[in-house]
Amino acid sequence: MLLPFTKVYAELGNSMQRATKLYLKQKGDALANRPVTVIYEDEANDPVVGAQKTQKFIDSDRVDLMMGIVATPIAYAVRNAIDAAKLIFIETNAGGNALTRTTTDCKPSCKSKYIFRSSFSSYQISYPIGEYFATQKGVKEVFTFVADYGFGNESAADFTSGFTKGGGKITGSLKAPLGSADFLPFVTQLKGQQTKDIYSFFSGTDAINYIKAWTQLGMTASGYKMNGAGFLTEQDVLKEVGDQANGATTSLFWAVTLDNAENKAFVDAYQKEYSLLPDVFAVQAWDGMQAVDLALQAVKGDTSNKDAFIAALENVKFKSPRGDFEFDKETHNPIQDIYIREVKVQSGQAVNTIVGKVARVTDPGK
Amino acid sequence: MTPETAVVQALNGISFGALLFILAAGLSLIFGMMDVVNLAHGAFYMLGAYIALTIVQRTGQFWLALVLAPLLIGALGLVIEPLLLRRLRGRHLDQVLLTIGVSLVIADLIGLTWGREIRSIPFPAGLDHAITIVGGDYPVYRLFVIAFGAALAVVLAVVHRRTRVGALIRAGVDDAPMLAALGVDIDRLFAITFAVGAALAGLAGVIAAPVFGIYPGMDVDYLIYSLVVVVVGGLGTLSGAVAGSALIGPVDTFGKVLFPQFALALIFAVMALVLLMRPTGLLGRIRIAR
Repeated sequence: MLLPFTKVYAELGNSMQRATKLYLKQKGDALANRPVTVIYEDEANDPVVGAQKTQKFIDSDRVDLMMGIVATPIAYAVRNAIDAAKLIFIETNAGGNALTRTTTDCKPSCKSKYIFRSSFSSYQISYPIGEYFATQKGVKEVFTFVADYGFGNESAADFTSGFTKGGGKITGSLKAPLGSADFLPFVTQLKGQQTKDIYSFFSGTDAINYIKAWTQLGMTASGYKMNGAGFLTEQDVLKEVGDQANGATTSLFWAVTLDNAENKAFVDAYQKEYSLLPDVFAVQAWDGMQAVDLALQAVKGDTSNKDAFIAALENVKFKSPRGDFEFDKETHNPIQDIYIREVKVQSGQAVNTIVGKVARVTDPGK
Repeated sequence: MTPETAVVQALNGISFGALLFILAAGLSLIFGMMDVVNLAHGAFYMLGAYIALTIVQRTGQFWLALVLAPLLIGALGLVIEPLLLRRLRGRHLDQVLLTIGVSLVIADLIGLTWGREIRSIPFPAGLDHAITIVGGDYPVYRLFVIAFGAALAVVLAVVHRRTRVGALIRAGVDDAPMLAALGVDIDRLFAITFAVGAALAGLAGVIAAPVFGIYPGMDVDYLIYSLVVVVVGGLGTLSGAVAGSALIGPVDTFGKVLFPQFALALIFAVMALVLLMRPTGLLGRIRIAR
């Protein structure tokens, strides 16, 4: 597994490692009666390091399967090496659309027979909420404000196309450089314009700083509404900002409060093992492991025939903590339900509650 | 941009500049006095924020953190200078390498102690609300940052110009060996200078923590800002740190909202421009190579 254990995404890497270890522990460190060894390497949020470690997996470790990678640029950077080496790779986070799409000249990346994704594409967490806002929620105008990098721009573009297709109008946009220290100048600009619904893509520290600046300028009291892709209000953010995110509407394929048996079992087991709540990154790694487990069972633990193993992965279907999970055979990106969630304060704790659902969303693949 | 928005953005820029001043003052002091570019400055800043996190979690007292965290980091500086830096005095490149090493060790120890999750602390009670300025709400905490930065500049200026310590610092900046020859204990003076510089970085960390979050990597982000400020303002002078932060804070703020696509390059473009016209920085003095 290639995960970030240092730098800004270290905690995402830790979370995925915890989920992977828990899964294997439950299965007695064996999948399909075959002992499984996991080698963990640190990609350090650096495409160069990621490429070196991938080459190590291919050349010296000769692994049967690779998983992991948090940041999209790293996934794009190793795509060709993986494809050339015919190494089966399950992406457990990076959501850049191009990784599972057909693109002109494969730029910046494109789908590969050998690459699957157990997380999401940015289309999936941005387009459906756009359409939902226009058609179900009756929102007429939205202003977009996103992090100025590949993923944030993709999210804004996908939201815009979903929202305008549903009949909505985008009145303007604003971008903040990734890792902007001070969010007050941006929120000041948001307040200086008239559209009340704001769509945002931010995660981690950016999301925290954004929400705090939002509160400081009294945006909610002035009638502004915070909306965004789900990472804006995931647990890592909510536990730091608490009720300041109250009322924010976001979309994601999972929420810790999701009411199904698999999610309850997963959340309980994770909490028991680590004394903390799982996050969405843990779910992504967990589902990656489930898919591998089921595919291995289908080929009776034999990974020597790559085409058979790929076919087995394409055919896995299971109940995930997020709901029904299967890969789209065309793109190898998951087909999944997207939930519209609203932050509410329940018994003193800010949580994402499910207020709507867009069923079986799949990436268009181009 | 409406006039009201412009005024608010100007305040945003000034408050960011004030924070940069608190951060850069320590870096500038150490450089001016000791001729050391302390690349561990960002790590001290980060450590200040994390110590504040623990104090606020345990006691809920932001003000206690504001006093205690700089003192602890000052004490750390008081240990690091004699133990490590002193051995390399006069060897500039080695000193720079050493401070990079120190910063890596501190950042990793922080990761081990506090974990690598992103954190935040609430605004201190009494400063967590907004007041009405030019027809809109403005957060009081930002005004506090401006006031604090200004007050610190005044205090530092008075110490610098009117006290014996200030006289020693000015003399040390001009010619440290001569100062030693005159019987001043230069070792002690350097240790104290380094400790005060480190404490100022810690202080900036505490002030920034409620606004900018606490996360792995913050040390590098702000080290770069502080280096830009001191280079633009003029190396090693207090007035240079004031001028540099007064320019960079607003430039960064307006740049981000007006030209978001160039935002990251803009402060470096300004730095290049300033250096082209005034190679010693806005208020820098020509230093005689020793």
